[in-house]
Amino acid sequence: MPPRLNVWSACRALSIRTRPVTNATPRPRAAAALARGLADLSTTSHNSSNTNFPPMPQTTESQPAESSSPENQMALSQLTMAAYGVNPFDPAIEGHKFGLPELPLPSPMHMKHRYDPVVLQITKLLMRDGKLSKAQRDMAMILNYLRTSPPPKLNPSRPLLPGAPPPSHLPFDPVMYLTVAIESVAPLIRIRGYTGIAGGGHKLDVPAPLAARQRRRIAMQWILDVVAKKNSKGSGRGMFPSRVAEEIIAVVEGRSPVWDKRQMVHKVGTAARANLNHHKLIGKL
Amino acid sequence: MSAPNCLRGCLVQRPAGGAAATLLRHSTVMPATAAHFSTSTPLHGNMMKPQKPGPKSKVLLVAKQWKKGKVADRGGKSPLPGERKAFRKRILLSNNNALPVEGLTYIGPGDLLDHKNVGKVMSIPDAAVDQLRTAEVFKPTQTWSIFRKPSMLVRSETVDLLNRMHTALGKEKALRLVIAGDRITGKSMLLLQAITHAYLNDYIVIHIPEAQELSIGATEYAPVPHSDPVQFMQPNYVLKLIQAIRKANEKLLAKMTTIYSHPDLPQNIPVSSPLLALANSAKEPESAWIVFRALFQELTVKGHGRPPILFSLDGLAHIMKMSEYRTAAFEPIHSHDLALVRLFTDCLSGAVSLPNGGAVLAAMTRGNAPRVPSLDLALSRRAAEQAGRHKNQLPQRPAFAKDYDDRVEAVLQTVELLQLQGVSKPEARSLMEYWAASGVLRSLIDEATVSEKWTLAGNGIVGEMERAALLTSRF
Repeated sequence: MPPRLNVWSACRALSIRTRPVTNATPRPRAAAALARGLADLSTTSHNSSNTNFPPMPQTTESQPAESSSPENQMALSQLTMAAYGVNPFDPAIEGHKFGLPELPLPSPMHMKHRYDPVVLQITKLLMRDGKLSKAQRDMAMILNYLRTSPPPKLNPSRPLLPGAPPPSHLPFDPVMYLTVAIESVAPLIRIRGYTGIAGGGHKLDVPAPLAARQRRRIAMQWILDVVAKKNSKGSGRGMFPSRVAEEIIAVVEGRSPVWDKRQMVHKVGTAARANLNHHKLIGKL
Repeated sequence: MSAPNCLRGCLVQRPAGGAAATLLRHSTVMPATAAHFSTSTPLHGNMMKPQKPGPKSKVLLVAKQWKKGKVADRGGKSPLPGERKAFRKRILLSNNNALPVEGLTYIGPGDLLDHKNVGKVMSIPDAAVDQLRTAEVFKPTQTWSIFRKPSMLVRSETVDLLNRMHTALGKEKALRLVIAGDRITGKSMLLLQAITHAYLNDYIVIHIPEAQELSIGATEYAPVPHSDPVQFMQPNYVLKLIQAIRKANEKLLAKMTTIYSHPDLPQNIPVSSPLLALANSAKEPESAWIVFRALFQELTVKGHGRPPILFSLDGLAHIMKMSEYRTAAFEPIHSHDLALVRLFTDCLSGAVSLPNGGAVLAAMTRGNAPRVPSLDLALSRRAAEQAGRHKNQLPQRPAFAKDYDDRVEAVLQTVELLQLQGVSKPEARSLMEYWAASGVLRSLIDEATVSEKWTLAGNGIVGEMERAALLTSRF
């Protein structure tokens, strides 16, 4: 739709400065291509003083010095750029070795969004005693374990998230591998117990939906519970990450007991969904 | 019950009296040449065997108190002895998920000498991989397990080092050199490249993969008979070393024949029998050191078609200090009084020459190394000499310093020093292109990426580049 032409659209184009402009005269751009003739100062001054007969231009001596002077080099490069159809005065190119980044910055360039959100959350769940650096190393080892393990053999009775990449692709993208495992086994709901409603001292089970981060957190806690019960096979810093990674592979292959936990929660939630209509809860949920 | 001549076992059991006391007397009567001092195995035996009911000593009571805390039983069978360490130390050399890289060539015998190959990534031939594995040159901390097949970057330092080795070989001399450098700059990797070159060019390689195994008191030791001043051999370690040498250099050893008669060997090896038979005669730890001496004597004969020798060791600082071993009088033993270490340090200092040429290489380690002031001083003096400083301007010991060691400085009097630093940007780029072609690094490799990782890695320190690009959770 074309913009409407009225007073308000004209006002929108107005810009108001609250402070006076300090830099009254903007610095002219260094247009070296235009200043080329003036680069050799000795000849110009000589010309201005002697008006009668301009001396023979000293082509043989001055030319090599002139062509290799920095002004000339810059001018030549600017001309070349202009010949290629690039604006030599583009601020994205001029004065920057690698150019300016495209805005808005892509997410990984931001200090606080360096990692994939799933990786970031799982890393913090792996952390013990506030040792984030150790948790990060563990996470790197988990991802390397996933990368070097053979492609998983899927179990059709434990389907992964719809739209998950084929198993042969998973080892190449360990972050995706981890994400698929966690998201697939994450429960959709949790069971909230309301006491004093059902009567007889029983609590009333009511299913409640979970947000994405909550779902991931619960799934990872289940996985870590299984890992804690596993026997350690070796010693050294690689042991814990390899146990976690083995469990993640077990989840994708459908061997993990975590699937049963998820199924149990969903079963209870399905059975208890009638409780959502309990007369004492109406208007409270 | 512990072995009768076990040092620690005797000390522990001294207050118990009775049988232990008689054993202690017995061990003091025994001649020193027959005594085997050990710390680890008999102790291990003690722990494995059920304790006999008898007079309880104080030590046992304390042990009982320690056991009070309940250990969580997770069910299943626990790993067998040695299995945990095997898991920690296992070396995987291939990853079938990684993409095969096109245009990757195998290293030939002369490839690492050629300056044209600087900045190329090349694969180790399969035969050499087996030899390197036998000699335990690969380390579990290196990132072999991520890639399809073992390949490595040829650095300018590699070509430089190997050309120096080659020049020394032409003069029938040994290059005596210490590889130093910051953490994860690739010191062990450079050693691996030198050893690969040696295997491809028919050197005999004697490699001590972890110097600390010799000096931290983890392997058995015994005095060498008739040695004055007394030296100590490490029979089990030397037996393992001989077996590794035999397996990795089998073809060469089969070709050569003995020229000395060795009357003190446990098995009769007549003159002009193959050296392989001599190496094979080491079957028991007791005779291992004698066989090793005989083998080394045969290998260092001048002429007779003997190949050059590469004698290398990783973790030099560990053998430049007092070891954890003790003499019968409970005096600490200097590492240089351990016979195998002495042989290496003699070769490194030039006291024992390798007449057929070769190299004596020692790599420093920075991860777990003890601080040895004499070693640091000696290396800084070598560095200053190589920088062309005058003899009077070399670094000196600080006045009143006590923890300096003359023996260490004497060993390093004339060695050469190779100081490793980061790789150059073209080398870094080639390495990163290899990572990307393997499907391991999922990013476009352009000048900006290379520059980013190179800068993050402290101006191209290879291990840091690996950390920044491969061992990260940021993809």
